[in-house]
Amino acid sequence: MISCRNLTRRFGDFTAVDRLSLEVARGAICAFLGPNGAGKSTTVKMLTGLLPPSSGSVTVDGLDVTRNLLELKRRIGVLPEDLGLFDDLTVDEHLLLTGSVYGLDKRETRTRTGQLLHALSLEHGRHTFAGACSHGMRKKTAFAMALLPNPRVLFLDEPFEAIDPVTSKIMRDLLAAIAQRGVTVFLTSHILSVVEQIASQVVMIRKGKIVWDSPPADLPQSLEQHYFDLVEAPVVEELNWLGSSQS
Amino acid sequence: MARVIAILKALGLAYRRDQKSLVAIVGNNFFLVTALLLQDAGGFIYLMIGVVLLFPLSTDPLRKIPASRLALWPLDGRERRLLRIASPWVNPVSWLIAGLAVWAIRGKVTFGLWAAVAGLFVAAFLLSDLPFAPRRAIWLHIPQFPGRWNQLIRKNLREILCTLDFYCALLLSVSVAICRVAKVPLPPEAFLAITVLVVLALSSYAACLFGLDGPGGLARYRLLPLWGWEILAAKDVAFLVVAIPLTLPLAPLAAIAAALVALALGHGPTVNRPRPQSRWRFSTGGGVVTGLVQAAFMAMAATSVFFSSSLYLLPCIAAWAGSTWYFGRRLETRADV
Repeated sequence: MISCRNLTRRFGDFTAVDRLSLEVARGAICAFLGPNGAGKSTTVKMLTGLLPPSSGSVTVDGLDVTRNLLELKRRIGVLPEDLGLFDDLTVDEHLLLTGSVYGLDKRETRTRTGQLLHALSLEHGRHTFAGACSHGMRKKTAFAMALLPNPRVLFLDEPFEAIDPVTSKIMRDLLAAIAQRGVTVFLTSHILSVVEQIASQVVMIRKGKIVWDSPPADLPQSLEQHYFDLVEAPVVEELNWLGSSQS
Repeated sequence: MARVIAILKALGLAYRRDQKSLVAIVGNNFFLVTALLLQDAGGFIYLMIGVVLLFPLSTDPLRKIPASRLALWPLDGRERRLLRIASPWVNPVSWLIAGLAVWAIRGKVTFGLWAAVAGLFVAAFLLSDLPFAPRRAIWLHIPQFPGRWNQLIRKNLREILCTLDFYCALLLSVSVAICRVAKVPLPPEAFLAITVLVVLALSSYAACLFGLDGPGGLARYRLLPLWGWEILAAKDVAFLVVAIPLTLPLAPLAAIAAALVALALGHGPTVNRPRPQSRWRFSTGGGVVTGLVQAAFMAMAATSVFFSSSLYLLPCIAAWAGSTWYFGRRLETRADV
């Protein structure tokens, strides 16, 4: 469903993503893990056609991302890193815009909008402008926009960050349900406990290169410990001044 | 006291940075053309620009500090009162009004002028300080449009209504409407001239159409399964929806021609050199050269339609359609728009 070969992205002399090769099967939930600046969001941007690769190839749902961009956009749902919301549209209007642009009729759009707003506890803020929403509300709106057209592939950049526990549970259940129906989910996250619960494939990236790719069952130790060992160990810095109440 | 001074210094810095966005007026087509062509004869226009500018200039400087942050700072009651009294003097307009008061006492300006400027300043200052919770609720009542661009057009309309360009054009249009109602005799050429001025006041926005979308909005445009020309056309429809009603009391056909030309020439800088814009400021436009070219061709198009034939609308429509298609293609290939 998602396939990339030697995918590379350079920004001047800096190589953000270095010859990345990856296969994600239909109906899989692939968790793409790595520290800040490892190249996760750059990879998501290349997989969704937002950023052209410097070299290498990507196909999503059988489409070459660089050649069939408009058709690709019709088949995928994306929760981008910056959420991609317009300050001058309300939560409700964002979903209505999505429905009409993806070719859903008004009735169907309204039905799906109502259900998504209810499921994600967004009903009370449906007429709030995105510019006035909390970060959590904005993220839920962008998540609902990604789901509304019922895409074949879902790309989610840090979907669980800044989300309350109840909505996080609802989102996890939703993702598990749609993956069972055959929708492929590709997500990045820093919340390893959530990833452990839903992922069927774990990919770890460090300095633009894949350092691990397997089902969670094949991990030799806990996900967190493996992440610390392979990707980034916690730095212990003694902040003595924090121990003083007079500082 | 040291804490208050530190906060006032930071406020002064933030305020100076914000005032830089008012430099936008230098690149604004309306200001550019009136300054170049009208010079001393542009008194009324300058007064209008001054009035429109006075509102964003008169906001309470303390609003620059988020209310939660201000509440968290360890300031006692005396320090908070001091901050309240001293902070308006961070705004240079306060000093200007104080200077005007001295002049009024010495008889160099009339008390009436001083009172008008001071009154507008105080009104804008107090309005900016009111906790208007439903301030943006008025934008919910923007009408619906048929078709799948509906929400995009509504969003674009809200953006235009947040620029000072619109209010400048509105003041001009209302002034002429009042003249018409009061049966003040105006020569036909005056209608054409004011029509061009109204569209000119809006035309800088036409050269920076994505300026108020922000990075999130631009990312969303690139995710939506829409052709580039559709995204530009949704912007243009909103522009025409504003421009046409404003010119109804003037010369609407000439205005449509001028608006189409402004958009056709504005697509280039909109796509090739996108400039971020600020709300409640004049639009910066696409630069001095683009502004002058836009103004010249708008005047030509409006004059041809007004004095010769409505058929001159056809080349304007063709130019707009060609520009929308061409720059729509360019838009699809740009990674940063």
